Amino acid sequence: MGKGGGAMIFQWFDERLELKKFKDKFLAKTFPTHPAFLLGEMALFCFVTLTVTGIFLGFLYEPSTKLISLFGAMVPSAYASVVKIDLLPMGMIVRRIHHWSAMLMIAAILAHLMRIYFTAAYRKPREINWFVGLGLWGITMLAAFTGYLLPYSQFSVTATSIAYYIAKSVPWIGDWISRLLFAGDFPSEGTVPRFFFMHVMLIPIMLIGLIGLHMVILVKQKHTEPPSNRNRKEAQAGKKLIGIPVWPEQAVISMSVYLFLLFVIALISTYIPLNPIEMYGPPSPGTPVMRPDWYFLPIYGFLKLIPGDLSFSILGGKITPETIGGVLFPGFLFLVFGLIPFLDRVKEAQPYMENPLRRPFMTSFGIGGGVFLCMNVVAGYIDVLHITPKAMITRMILATLAAWGISYALLRLYNGKEKRGNNVKG
Amino acid sequence: MVKGNAGTTGDKTGITRRRFTLGVLVASVVGACGSLLAMLTVLSPEKKGGGYVTTIKPGDGLVYAQGSNMGVDIQASSMKVGDAVLAYPAGKSSNPANLVQLIKLTELKPPTNLALTDQGFVAYSAICTHLGCTVSWVANQGSPATSYTECFCHNSIFDPARGAKVMGGPAPIPLAQIGVKVTSDGKLVFTSDFTGPIGPQV
Repeated sequence: MGKGGGAMIFQWFDERLELKKFKDKFLAKTFPTHPAFLLGEMALFCFVTLTVTGIFLGFLYEPSTKLISLFGAMVPSAYASVVKIDLLPMGMIVRRIHHWSAMLMIAAILAHLMRIYFTAAYRKPREINWFVGLGLWGITMLAAFTGYLLPYSQFSVTATSIAYYIAKSVPWIGDWISRLLFAGDFPSEGTVPRFFFMHVMLIPIMLIGLIGLHMVILVKQKHTEPPSNRNRKEAQAGKKLIGIPVWPEQAVISMSVYLFLLFVIALISTYIPLNPIEMYGPPSPGTPVMRPDWYFLPIYGFLKLIPGDLSFSILGGKITPETIGGVLFPGFLFLVFGLIPFLDRVKEAQPYMENPLRRPFMTSFGIGGGVFLCMNVVAGYIDVLHITPKAMITRMILATLAAWGISYALLRLYNGKEKRGNNVKG
Repeated sequence: MVKGNAGTTGDKTGITRRRFTLGVLVASVVGACGSLLAMLTVLSPEKKGGGYVTTIKPGDGLVYAQGSNMGVDIQASSMKVGDAVLAYPAGKSSNPANLVQLIKLTELKPPTNLALTDQGFVAYSAICTHLGCTVSWVANQGSPATSYTECFCHNSIFDPARGAKVMGGPAPIPLAQIGVKVTSDGKLVFTSDFTGPIGPQV
C-alpha cells in the first residue's frame, strides 16, 4: 500500500463518478478577475446564510395565530415562539443574522445589477440572464416580505395589512389574488400558515431554481471580461477568456469573500438591533409610525405622494391610488428594467465590459433613474421633513431631470464630440 | 428500419402514427392545463363577507380599546376638550371593523353631522380609508382647534371638526362618522350606524 488514505478514497469515488473528468471540465473553468464580479457571489452567500439560519429558526417557530399565554398575557403563538427564540442563548443573534442577511442580500443584488447595467453586460448574448436576474430580485423581495408577517407583531400585521389592500386593489382579479395569497381575508387565521409555506418552501424552491438557471447560463456564456484584457498577449494569441481557474484560485477568493461577509453580518447583528418585536408588541388596535425595510422605501414613499382623489375605472377595472402606488408603480419599474436590453442593442455578441464613461446616454439614464428612486425614498419621510406631497413631487421631477441632464452633459463633454461606434449612443 | 412502419396509415382510418401521437400529446397538454386552472380556482378560499363589516348597534356602550383600562366604560367626565381615545363597542372588540376614534371638541362645523354628536363628543371610524392602518390623534396642546387625526402609515390627515374631511395625503374619502351621545349616568353610547363606507376603498 504505497498510497495514502485520501488518495484511496478519491480513487474509490473517481472510479464510480469520474471525478477527474469533472475536475478537468468544470473546476478548470476560467474565471475572469475583477472586484466587481464578486457582488453577485455575495448575494448567493447571503442566501446560503439565510438558508442555514432559516433552518435553525424553522425548528423553533410556530406558524399559528392561536392565542396562548406568555408571561401572563394572551398573545398569538407565532409571536410567543419568536419571543422564546429571542430568549434562547444566541437565539436573538441568529434571528438578527437572518434578517440582516436578507437586507444585505437585496443590497448585493442591487449592487450586482448596477455593475451589469453600467458596464452593459446585459447586451447580447446575456439578455436572458438579465431577465433571470430581475426575477431573482423580485422573488427575493417577496421572500423578505413574507418573512415580515411571521413574528406576528404589531409591525408584522400592519405591514401585511397594507400589502393585503394593495393586492386587493389589482384591477379585475384583486379579490381572487388577495384571497389566494393571504388565504382568505386579512387578518384571519389562514394567513400565517400560508405565508409560512411560501416563505420556507415555495419561494426558496423558486430561488434555488432560478439561481441554478442563472449559474448554468453564466457558465455557458461566460463573464464579460475587463476591457484591459483586450490588450493582453494571451488575447492577441487567440485565447478566448483570460482569468483564473475555479479551483483552486477562485474558490479561495470566494471563500475569503464569504468569510469576510459572515464576519460583517455577525458584527452588524451583534451591535444593531433589527425588528425588535418585544418593543412592537403583539397586534393591538393602534398603529405607531413605522417604515418598511430599506428596499421597500421607494414604493412606500411613492404611496404617500398620490392624491387620494385620483381614481377611475377602465373596462370595469377600478384603478385607485393604491393600485397606482402599489401595483402599477412597481410594475412600471420592472418593465423599465426589463426593456433595457431592447433599448440598448448591439449586433455582435459582446465579450468585454464597457466603460460607463464612454456611454453618456445609458450611464446618465441610470444615474437619473437612481436619483428618482432615492427621491422616492425621501418622499417616505415627508412627515418628518414637513414637505407637502405636491412640493415633494416637484422636487423629485427637478432632481431627476437635473441628475440626468447634468450627468449627460458632463459625459458628452468628457468624450468630446467624437463618436466611438456603438459606445456613444444618443 | 421503422421508417416504412411509422408512415404507414392504419388500415382504413387514414391516421398515421405520427399524427396520432401528436394528437394524444396535444390532448394531454390541454387536459393538464385545464386541470391546473381548476386547481387554481380551488386554491382561493371562499370570500368571507369581504372588507370591513361592522357589528355596532345603536345602544352599545363605548369602552377603551387599549391601555390599562382596556374594556372599561369610557366616562364622559374623563375627557377634556382636545382629547381623543380609541374605542370599541362593549363586548365586540374582536371585530376590527368596530374600532372608532372618540374625540371631544368644541367647535364642530359641517360637513360634520351635528345630530350625531353630543356635548362636543364626535366619533369616526378609526380605520384609515387608504390602506387600513389605525389612525392616531395628533394633539396640539392648548389648541384643540389645530389638533387633527393622522394615519402614520402614509400620512393621510383628517379634520375631525369638519366631518373628518381629508386635509392631505393619499386617503380617498373621509372617515365615516358614527353617532354617539352621553347617557344620564355619564357614559357614552352609540346612537347610529356609520354614515359612510369604512376601511380601504379597494
